Amino acid sequence: MSEVSTAPSAADGEHSAPAPSASDGAILRVENLVKHFPIRKGLLKRTVGVVHAVDGVDLEVRRGETLGLVGESGCGKSTLARTVLKLIEPTSGTIVVNGRDITRFKRKQMRPIRRELQIVFQDPYASLNPRMTVRNIVGEPLKIHGLASDRSERNNRVAELLRTVGLSPEHANRFPHEFSGGQRQRIGVARALALNPQLLILDEPVSALDVSIRAQVVNLLESLQGEFGLSYLFVAHDLSIVRHVSDRVAVMYLGKIVEIGTRDQVYERPTHPYTQALLSAVPIESPQQRGKRQRIVLEGDVPSPVDPPSGCHFRTRCWKAQEICAEVEPPLENRGFDHPSACHFAEPLEPLKLTEQAALAASAPTVEVDAPSAEVDAS
Amino acid sequence: MTGCATRSTRLSEFVPEPVLSIRDLTVEFKTEDGVVHAVENVSYDIAAGETLGIVGESGSGKSVSMLAVLGLIPQPPGRIVRGEALYKGRDLLRMPKGELRRIRGGEVAMVFQDPMTSLNPVLKVGEQLSEAIQAHNDGVSDKESRKRGVALLALVGVPKAEQRYDQYPHEFSGGMRQRAMIAMAIANSPSLLIADEPTTALDVTIQAQIIEVMKAAQRETHAATILITHDLGLVAELADHVVVMYAGRVVERGDVFTIFSNPRHPYTVGLMESLPGLAVEQVTLQPIPGQPPSLISLPPGCAFHPRCALSNGRARCRTETPDLREAGAAEHVAACHFSEELEGYKSKLVGAA
Repeated sequence: MSEVSTAPSAADGEHSAPAPSASDGAILRVENLVKHFPIRKGLLKRTVGVVHAVDGVDLEVRRGETLGLVGESGCGKSTLARTVLKLIEPTSGTIVVNGRDITRFKRKQMRPIRRELQIVFQDPYASLNPRMTVRNIVGEPLKIHGLASDRSERNNRVAELLRTVGLSPEHANRFPHEFSGGQRQRIGVARALALNPQLLILDEPVSALDVSIRAQVVNLLESLQGEFGLSYLFVAHDLSIVRHVSDRVAVMYLGKIVEIGTRDQVYERPTHPYTQALLSAVPIESPQQRGKRQRIVLEGDVPSPVDPPSGCHFRTRCWKAQEICAEVEPPLENRGFDHPSACHFAEPLEPLKLTEQAALAASAPTVEVDAPSAEVDAS
Repeated sequence: MTGCATRSTRLSEFVPEPVLSIRDLTVEFKTEDGVVHAVENVSYDIAAGETLGIVGESGSGKSVSMLAVLGLIPQPPGRIVRGEALYKGRDLLRMPKGELRRIRGGEVAMVFQDPMTSLNPVLKVGEQLSEAIQAHNDGVSDKESRKRGVALLALVGVPKAEQRYDQYPHEFSGGMRQRAMIAMAIANSPSLLIADEPTTALDVTIQAQIIEVMKAAQRETHAATILITHDLGLVAELADHVVVMYAGRVVERGDVFTIFSNPRHPYTVGLMESLPGLAVEQVTLQPIPGQPPSLISLPPGCAFHPRCALSNGRARCRTETPDLREAGAAEHVAACHFSEELEGYKSKLVGAA
């Protein structure tokens, strides 16, 4: 409703300026973003600790690109995605959308911003209101933003959106329960597209879908990107899917970005030990690869984000850890290789490369060779 | 089950005597909307020390077939229409309940998908573990079962097993809980271990740990292992043989190397084409069009024909249900009328090797 002027960036947008080179093309820029959730206990609900869900993240999504954000559960990638949209209020840091600092924007001020940024959620069963028809679900954003003058115009637009995502306009009268998971996800995408956004935040958009359906939705997202010139922030834990869709990839561990670069830089020549372990842990693609890939099996679990380790968050599971790792937090910066990495001992490794004898130069005591079982080898 | 024991001789064409041999298993569920044909004419064997991967999407019947074998399907609404499941020559489907209970959790053990819900939250992990030991071994003292329980936790890589034994499930992380589940499953040195999506709920780095634990557990027990999963990568890592299921039926069965390099069923091919490779560069994915059919009203003929790239509208696919037929390699069978047309197909996944 409110005619919001394109708000000039507030004073706090000034002080930080990393990566100024590409910032012109950035549709979304996040600087030192922090989200801490307080843990309250007892009758008085006193704060007894904080969950460091997002712990100082710098990131930018450039126009027309797909930035993949990977990490394991609890690393803060979904919190980051939601904080960027201000579905969750950030604790500190700056969020800049198309040159406007929206960090302190109020609900009302956010409304026009939401035309530019939309989100598709992971679970297509939980993210659609079961009591609304598809027409109302997809048409609701149009109504809220007053983008269709009357009902018939809105209905036409809904029909067009449904066709865009590969559903038929007749589906508009049905309810979500009449659709399969893949179709529901298409409805979620249609809703997100209703306002002609520039950036879609895709939070695990295909994780809940069956394998054969996943590829359909991934292909749909790719064709929509070409058609409408969309930018994507693609949040996922599936490393294969992220490789397939992304132009650049950021790897997150315990609230921080540990490595960022182009897809090939991160997948072919990762320099952070966590990225290397993560990639090496993905199951092989065919039995013919058994024993040909080196596997780094990390010990233990991810530490609690309530009390993350000092210095480098990954040091408790890292085979390269030295004293300095506990004392000095390694910043995410270029370390003489072609892309930034947050490790004092960054060094490229090719975790996906197949070798004839898997015993490659292994720097890790925890490296285990994925040996084929003897019976199989004989057959 | 008298008389059943002798029937195993009929199946002796397989060189190692199968630990479990399933024949023509058919399971239905009565629902308000009609009869769900969850599993239809499923047959396969598994030998000692071998790992059989059962691959399929949700609703393909891969879990239901195993639950039926273990007598874990509520009847009604479920009904085992026909078939047999010979475990060491004895039919599990017709075994008295008490006897089945002795076998289950003892000689035949299970690991379920979700370690968050399959442990009892109000009992200590150690108590649950020693319960599994004592239920199948009469006269084992508490002290003795504790000793074995701690050793088992150590075997599956739970650090500080002695202290962990006295903790509750909520004090364990997801990966640790799955380790505890595996410890419980191998507590009585099973001959048959059934793992239903053992790593699906886990993160990649934890999944890699569990894969190693599964391998170690199998080396230790030499159990025949049935691995139910939708993850072809897991099958590539662990399985010796593969059964591919679609809409309640087995559509392809064979040696893992053959299935991955020369799949002969269009559904198997479709699955492989729709996966983005981690190491393979690829421009677009080839999804399988459409959706899995409703198990209440399966398409006539081959259940896959409406989505099939090979069928091309040929009438035979619509009218005649294909049986499993020899598909080239030894013990490789596929249920497709036109599987020969896939002879020259080379899987892109293997191309990467």
